[in-house]
Amino acid sequence: MSVLYGVDLGSRYVKVAAEEDGSFHFMGPYDTAGFYRVYVKPDKEGGILRRDLLGLEGGAPLAATGYGRARLGKGAVMVPELEAIVAGVKALTGLTDAVILDVGGQDSKALLIREGRMVDFAANDRCAASSGRFMENMSTALGMSLDEMGRHAENPVELSSTCAIFGETELVGLMGEGYPPESLAAGVNHTILRRLLPLLSRFRPRSLVLTGGVAYNKALRELLGERLGVEPVIPEPPDFVAAVGCCRLAREHASKGD
Amino acid sequence: MAKIGITTTVPIEVIYAAGHVPVDLNNAFVARPDHRELVEEAELVGFPRNFCAWIKGIYGAVKRRDDLAAVVAVTQGDCSNTHALMETLQMEGVEVIPFAYPYERNYDLLRVQMEIFARRLGAEWDEAEGAMQNLDRIRGKAHEIDRLTWKEGLVSGFENHLYLVSCSDMEGDPEAFENKLDGFLEEVEARAGESAGLENAGKMVRLGYLGVPPIAPSLYDYLETLGASVVYNETQRQFSLPFDTRDLVEKYRLYSYPYSIFYRLEDIKREVERRRLAGLIHYVQSFCFRQVEDIILRRSLDLPILTVELDYSDRLDARTRMRLENFVSMLGGRGGG
Repeated sequence: MSVLYGVDLGSRYVKVAAEEDGSFHFMGPYDTAGFYRVYVKPDKEGGILRRDLLGLEGGAPLAATGYGRARLGKGAVMVPELEAIVAGVKALTGLTDAVILDVGGQDSKALLIREGRMVDFAANDRCAASSGRFMENMSTALGMSLDEMGRHAENPVELSSTCAIFGETELVGLMGEGYPPESLAAGVNHTILRRLLPLLSRFRPRSLVLTGGVAYNKALRELLGERLGVEPVIPEPPDFVAAVGCCRLAREHASKGD
Repeated sequence: MAKIGITTTVPIEVIYAAGHVPVDLNNAFVARPDHRELVEEAELVGFPRNFCAWIKGIYGAVKRRDDLAAVVAVTQGDCSNTHALMETLQMEGVEVIPFAYPYERNYDLLRVQMEIFARRLGAEWDEAEGAMQNLDRIRGKAHEIDRLTWKEGLVSGFENHLYLVSCSDMEGDPEAFENKLDGFLEEVEARAGESAGLENAGKMVRLGYLGVPPIAPSLYDYLETLGASVVYNETQRQFSLPFDTRDLVEKYRLYSYPYSIFYRLEDIKREVERRRLAGLIHYVQSFCFRQVEDIILRRSLDLPILTVELDYSDRLDARTRMRLENFVSMLGGRGGG
C-alpha cells in the first residue's frame, strides 16, 4: 500500500493528511464552508470528495472524521473523531498513556488513554466559550491576530462571563475603559484556561498532549503547564492530529478489507 | 369529570378516585406538533432564554388548553423553577394545587400530604386505595415491557421510554392505556418468534439512561444505529412505580425521583448490576439544577458516564451525535485501535 489519506472535516477548517512510506504530508487547513463548495461534489448519497482537484490518488484508502464527514458518502471510511485523535497522537508522539486535551473550533475534549486505548473522556458543555471559535471572536473584537493574542499571559483583565457572546461584550467594555491590549489578550487566555481546567480535573494528567488549532496559542500552553505541573506535549502540527489518525485508521480498514 | 394538569408524577390514584382525569403536562407539551411555539409563547411573556425548556413548554401547554380545571404543581421534590411557573399561572387565573414530597421520605409526613391532596380534590382515601389496585394491574404490564427490554432484548430503548413515561398519567384513560399495553405485548410476543432480534441484542452495547426524560427522544434510535441500546430508563421506570407494596403511601415513599440523589443512587446501583450495563448516559436539561447532580453520580458510580445536555430541539445536534458516537465506540472497545 503506497499512500493513505486522512481528512478531518472540522467545524471551522478541513485538514487533509497523506501518509507515504511512514512520513506525512499536510494539505490545508481549508475553510470548511469553502471546502464543501470546491472539493465536495454533491451526490444523492451524501457527496463525493474531488480527489482530482486535491491531487489525491484515485483508489488509495481514505478515512474521514469530524462534523462534516457524512458529507463524504462515497469512497471514504468514516471514523469517530476521538478514535482518530487517539490514533493521530500515537502516530505523531508515540505516547500510549496520556491525557489528550483537544481544543477545536467549537468543542473541547479531554481524553484519557491507557495502553493506547481511550478509556474515558470529558467534553465541554453546550456553550462554545472554551473553543477556537471563542478565540477567533475575541481576536476580531481586539483587532489582534490569533498569533499575537496567544503571546500574552501577564496582567490579565478579569473576564467573568461564561458565554462567548457576553464575553465579547465585556471585552469591548474593558477596551473602552482603556485597559492595554496585552492585558485584554491575557484576560482572554486566562478565561479559556479556566474553562478547560474542569475537563482535566477528573484525570489528573501526568502526561498531557495538546491537540487542535488552539495548541498554537503559546500563552495557553504555558498557563496549562503551570497549573498542571506538566509540560504539554504538542504533536506537530497539532491541528492535523485527527487527519493523521485517519491515515492510520484508513490503513487498518484497508488491511481488514472493508 | 375534570381534567387536572400535573407537572410531574403525583399520586394519580387520588385524582382518579376523585373522578377526575390527570394530564401529564410534560407529555401534553412534547406531544403537540406546535411544541416549539409553546416555548416561544413563554419567552414572549418574559420567561428567560436561559431557563428550563420543560417549564416554558408546560406554561405554553397550559395556556393553549381551556379544558384544565386545575394544575397540580410539585413544590417539593421537583424544582424551584416549578414554583415560579406555578405562581405565574396562579397570577393568570389558573387554579393551582400544590403537592410536596417530604425530602426525608418520612411516612407520616407523606401520608398527611396525600390526605390533604385527597381532601382538596374531594377523594375518599379508601377509594384512592381501590384505584391503586386497578392502576397496579396496568403498571404490572408496563413492568413486563421493561423486563422484555433488559432481559429478553425484545423491546427497544425508545419503546421502553414511551410506555414507562406514559405511566405518569396513564394517558388520562387507564382502560385505553391498558389495551394499548396489551396490544404492544402481543406484538412483542410475535417478535420473540423471530430469533434475529435476540441475536442482535446480544451484540449491542448495553446502556442505562439517567435523569429526566429527554426532550429529544430521537436519542434512543440514534443510539441503536450506533450499536447501543438503552435497557434502563431510570426516571421513566420510576414513573411506573415498580414496587411490590399494597400500601398507597409506601408506594410513593419508595418512588425515588422526588427524593435525595443518594436514595436514587441505591436504585441506580441495583439496576446497573442487574441489567449488566456497560455505560450510562446522564441526561441534563440546559439550565437545570440537576446538572450539579452529575458530580455525585460520577463520584458514586464506577462505570463510564456520558453527560448529554440539551436545551430545546427535538432533533439531536451534531455535537451531541458526535459525543454519543464516541462514547459508544469507546465502550465497544474501539477506542483508537
